[in-house]
Amino acid sequence: MKPRTLLALFIIPLGLIIAAVPQNKTNPYKLSPEELLGELNSRTQFVTPETVADMIIKKDPSLRLIDVRSEDEFEKFSLPGAINIPSSNLLSDVYMEILDQDVKMNVFYSNGTLIANEAWMITRHLGYINNYVLEGGLNYWFEAILNPEKPVSTSPDEEFARYDFCKSAGLALGGGGPVQVTQDQAPASVKPAVKSGARKKKAAGGC
Amino acid sequence: MGPLAINELISENTNLFLAFIIGIGFGFVLEQSGFSSSRKLAGVFYGYDAVVLKVFFTAAITTMLGLLFFSLFGWIDLSLIYINPTYLTSAIVGGIIMGAGFIMGGYCPGTSFCGASIGKIDALVFIGGLFIGVFIFGIGYDLWEGMYLANFLGSPKVSKTLGLTDGVFAFFLILIALSMFWVAEWAEKKFKREEY
Repeated sequence: MKPRTLLALFIIPLGLIIAAVPQNKTNPYKLSPEELLGELNSRTQFVTPETVADMIIKKDPSLRLIDVRSEDEFEKFSLPGAINIPSSNLLSDVYMEILDQDVKMNVFYSNGTLIANEAWMITRHLGYINNYVLEGGLNYWFEAILNPEKPVSTSPDEEFARYDFCKSAGLALGGGGPVQVTQDQAPASVKPAVKSGARKKKAAGGC
Repeated sequence: MGPLAINELISENTNLFLAFIIGIGFGFVLEQSGFSSSRKLAGVFYGYDAVVLKVFFTAAITTMLGLLFFSLFGWIDLSLIYINPTYLTSAIVGGIIMGAGFIMGGYCPGTSFCGASIGKIDALVFIGGLFIGVFIFGIGYDLWEGMYLANFLGSPKVSKTLGLTDGVFAFFLILIALSMFWVAEWAEKKFKREEY
């Protein structure tokens, strides 16, 4: 038998099979439940309000805030420069380019952490990277950045530094009163130096 | 499961190592099929030897069937396979330049290294020409950048453009391949050369 005939006898049936079966459109790329649990436990998806405030003030071009609340809520209040992707429309093709990319740092936020975390889990499950969640959501943002609580006088210096940062950040982002430098330390300027936090850092307790 | 490196089942280095092993196998098969002979390679243009067409087309349909069946069994995610982006103008212009070079030199880039590895002088000369071409392209990049990047189409698939499923397109391609083999073997008899 000629090699050509032999080849034909072999590949034509294979071709017929592959033409007849439905195309496999399932996306096998998924995190296994163990992997997802590991990521959830390590809490690496969270960025602190402090880090986000710092990036907003510095106009860091890599930051992209994504409001996953409804359109109404977004119009009432949103963080500076945020875009609105309601969680119900998260999987729409229009947003694919925004969510599946490796250039910007997307930070999801909602009122609490729940909806933003759901959005993160869905995108993570699709294999997307560079998506994060604002720790504590907007509720904690108000508490930590716009209205920070003054530490007690016996607190360590870092607490005061954090308090001063939050005060000045809150002022820059529209909220809080004038910055009063705490007495236990005397920084050179009224606005303390804004330190860039590690992006993937574990939650450090916020402001 | 697959692609192995993208899903981090194997490291980037293991991936390169596997590519190295496969590359050696590929080179060996090329040489054994006679691809280190420029006369044999040029034969496909004159019709007296269609081994290039047969080997490459068989390789293409084997890979295609393999990938489709792997995808069917859930062993590989085809959406993660890298598809070379299409710049239509440079694909056409580059195809013409490369085709002309192929007929004149009797080699394509891969087979020229195959020939050079067994010490063929014409293959070494061809590789020299290849580097001169690369150098000219690099030096004059500003001149042809516009043309080089013109008509960008993304990474289209023929099956999608024709509105067929991958499987149906694969079946038609197999039929096309087999009929081309038939035509090629007819041409081999018609334009037969005794020695080359």
